[in-house]
Amino acid sequence: MSAPTATPLYLADAVRRLDHRLGAHMRWAAPIAIAVPLCILAAALEGIHSGFPSNWVLGVPRWFDDLDNWVTNNDESSFFLHSVVGGFGNLLNSATNDVVHFLHWLTWVGVLAIAVTVAWLVGSWRTALFSALMISSFGVLQIPNGGANGISQMWPSAMTTLALMAVAIALSTIVGIPLGVASAVWPAVHKTLRPVLDLMQVLPAFAYLVPIVVLFSIGNPAGIVATFIYAVPPLVRYTELGIRSVPKDVIEAADSFGSTRRQILRNVQLPLATQAIMLGLNQVIMMALSIVVIASLVGAGGLGDPVLAALQTEQNGEGLIAGVLIVFMAMWLDRTSAALGARASRTGPTRRKLTRTELVGVWGGLAALVLVCRYGFGLGDWPAGWGFSLVDQATNALNWLTDRLIGVTTPISSFLTLHLLNPLQRYLYDVPWWLVAAIVGTVGWARGGWRRGLLLVGCVVLLGLMQAPIGYTFQGTVSYNFSAWADAMQTLSLILVALALDLIIGIPLGIAAYRWRPVDHVLRPILDTLQTLPAFVYLIPMVALFGVGNVTGMCASLIYALPAAVRATTLGLRAVQRDVIEAGHAFGSTRWQLLFKVELPIARPYLMLAVNQTILLVMAEVVVAGLVGAGGLGLDVVTGFSRSEVGLGAAAGLAMVLMGIVLDRLSQSSPERTQHGGA
Amino acid sequence: MNKRRWIRLAIVLAVAAVAAIVAAFASTSAHAGKPTIVLATNSWEGSLANNVVAQYVIEKDLGYNVNLLTIDEDPAWPAMSQGKVSAVLEEWGHSNLYAQYIKGNHKVVDAGLEGPDGNIGWYVPTYLMKSHPELKTWKGVKQDWKLFVTPQSSPKGQFLDGSPSYVTNDTALVTNLGLNLKTVFAGTEAAQLTEIEQDYKAKKPVLFYWYTPQFQNAIYKFSQVALPPWTTTCAKLKPAQINCAYPPYHLYKVMDANLASEAPTVASFIRRFNWTSDDQNTVAYNLAVKHMSNSAAAAAFVNSHKALVQSWISSSSKPTKIEPPAAGT
Repeated sequence: MSAPTATPLYLADAVRRLDHRLGAHMRWAAPIAIAVPLCILAAALEGIHSGFPSNWVLGVPRWFDDLDNWVTNNDESSFFLHSVVGGFGNLLNSATNDVVHFLHWLTWVGVLAIAVTVAWLVGSWRTALFSALMISSFGVLQIPNGGANGISQMWPSAMTTLALMAVAIALSTIVGIPLGVASAVWPAVHKTLRPVLDLMQVLPAFAYLVPIVVLFSIGNPAGIVATFIYAVPPLVRYTELGIRSVPKDVIEAADSFGSTRRQILRNVQLPLATQAIMLGLNQVIMMALSIVVIASLVGAGGLGDPVLAALQTEQNGEGLIAGVLIVFMAMWLDRTSAALGARASRTGPTRRKLTRTELVGVWGGLAALVLVCRYGFGLGDWPAGWGFSLVDQATNALNWLTDRLIGVTTPISSFLTLHLLNPLQRYLYDVPWWLVAAIVGTVGWARGGWRRGLLLVGCVVLLGLMQAPIGYTFQGTVSYNFSAWADAMQTLSLILVALALDLIIGIPLGIAAYRWRPVDHVLRPILDTLQTLPAFVYLIPMVALFGVGNVTGMCASLIYALPAAVRATTLGLRAVQRDVIEAGHAFGSTRWQLLFKVELPIARPYLMLAVNQTILLVMAEVVVAGLVGAGGLGLDVVTGFSRSEVGLGAAAGLAMVLMGIVLDRLSQSSPERTQHGGA
Repeated sequence: MNKRRWIRLAIVLAVAAVAAIVAAFASTSAHAGKPTIVLATNSWEGSLANNVVAQYVIEKDLGYNVNLLTIDEDPAWPAMSQGKVSAVLEEWGHSNLYAQYIKGNHKVVDAGLEGPDGNIGWYVPTYLMKSHPELKTWKGVKQDWKLFVTPQSSPKGQFLDGSPSYVTNDTALVTNLGLNLKTVFAGTEAAQLTEIEQDYKAKKPVLFYWYTPQFQNAIYKFSQVALPPWTTTCAKLKPAQINCAYPPYHLYKVMDANLASEAPTVASFIRRFNWTSDDQNTVAYNLAVKHMSNSAAAAAFVNSHKALVQSWISSSSKPTKIEPPAAGT
């Protein structure tokens, strides 16, 4: 949804970096010359054993367990915990409750009318009509028999989710934009913030749910804080990028007119960065909606609850309907905020601006409408009778599909497991850790300089050290053998296969969407849905098809990241300049020659970025694999959350982050140091 | 975009922030009257069955509002200690949490036994037990491990575990009994059950973690595999060394320590709430299989068990017996 418009800024930046590339062949000589003797030394000293030595332990799980015990025992005596954290939590909670009450007070007519008017003001009548349809679905689609949580009307749940989104997005805006500005203005802030943002993006949400529950208890505040952590990084990044990409000569011009630095920032840079900031906000909305269900795991209500309840009681039809409503809310907010962004930057279709009197009239009319509905007609939530249930149809459709497909999917699943995933996993288990470190270090050095190489080697070693000592009993009574290295290798095998399949499917689809408009039109809504439909909705039907285990686990990541692979490819191709293509035409190339000889090679750096983005998204979703039997770090993180094992969850989460940093830096195709000095 | 526009935006944001804060304080001071009772629903259907009946009785007879909150077993305890959850009507073991919150900081109190005894164990479908009678004990599993090989567990046999949040010793059991099996955690009970259902339809062999009371036992025919019997010596072993069956669980209820002062009639009701596995299974079956609404399923039960329900709300009847969970469970 937001990715297509969002990417060009990021891409332009990367291409600029790529221009600074060093001599391509020389880059490999030095790292290899150092890595090979080191490997021989390691093999001689340690012997060729598979994996990571089990007695090399830092004791990370214990540190976090001790911290958790301290917090549990001091939450009333500590001023910080009790007043600051508790007070902040209460503020978030009452803000959410106020918004919920307000939305209910507006009545369903009011909510609908306001949303449609806003959509019409910022966009066009089509945006308005679309919004009306999406919002009506919250009332029209119902879950008749109450679902597991006794909810039949979805309207109140939708309003709760809307309120949670509003507070989480407000919090992200209040924190994110100033941080982005500070980061653009002061390099020191940028340097400190960058690893923190990386951490926030790669750390699986499950890993910080437990600490959040320890601090905020369960409920709305915990859900909002989790959403905030997950959703704010793009806003900070886009704000910063927007301000940085204001052309130098514009700033110099302002400077020569005697503007102070502050004036330049306020009057030149910020206004010119509006488009980027709007894109960031749009991303925040999308990301926030994609963790609605996870927020429900810590007791935030809303549309996530029926999805979760349906997952737990195997009512797949109910889960699907509730999940579709989340997608509809995402589409509505996406279209509206995209229209707002296009308007702010004057890139969208412009309509005559309403005069002040007209605006007052519109809003006054809305206020009157709300008052009449509320007090005149005594309206409230969407009327219960105005809706129907598609739950039975959804359940039947799912069952019908399962019965038809299972004959095909079972052999596919066995084949993939036996001949692809299992051998890859065994192979990865068997590689000694120092060989992994050497390969990662060499590639890192060649791509980003010796500092990056060193950083990556450090990450690899640290990843192995995350493990718990053998026989360490976690806080509870559970016996759990946490071997970070082996689990990371298992997860890595899922990531690699999901990535490969995403690229194999995604790049051709992206090319097709670039070549043929109709394909693009058909793909768009499908990709939008894949990106926002909570994985929890399709996990259980997939278990029916592919069985518990790696294949189902991998599919969630595959589906979640596919849209990014398709979109980045299309965008990369579109970015190839017209005149280059025309030159190709002039030399008499056919369309396909043009594609393979000119467009694709030129788009190569963009394709590398597609790989990078796909990796990050696959990483973000791979934890979910733990919920359907794929084991690995995903299961560690999920177990850590569901058994409140803080130490296990945190150590596994950190291992995931380290793996994320390694994969991200390896797939970034140009030396960082040309831009900001240092990997 | 000009300067004035930014100033206007700043003013709007500031006003909104002030309004939010004022409203926040206004709404916190406005809370009065009866507290809302929050019952934690854990991820199995029996837990929901307890809660819908309790909700119905508390709302109809005691006049409190009740919310059901879906949450895992472990996080429910800290939530109870912070007053976010009022009670949990079915606890399995959790001696560690019992020590921390009931014996330790006294923020949670034991509300006595729920009635049903929980039984966790290893199960196979009955059709498999009929064709392979040796599976009656774990020694048969040791011999027949090849039956359970799946792509996921290959080259070993598969032991299908459920949600990682449930009490399990299976990985330790597999190691300590010397079985050629690999435990595969389905991640959620729904995923585990989906897998079992597919195997059941195709009459395939499958070996899994299961428990009673469980209403699915009315739909599917499962048979238990006997593990080495549970003994008090075995109970003292470290989790990684356990080599015997699961202990019997006397399911019990717990509640927020402040509930007795905040909602005394509800606390008294929770102390007296008590029923049988069959009662629970009936309600769970009506909810999950017959798709009855929560209130309809509860009403059906309450109307046909008037004397039982009366004993829960009458203060002259005795609270249920208190029996802490066995150590190490």
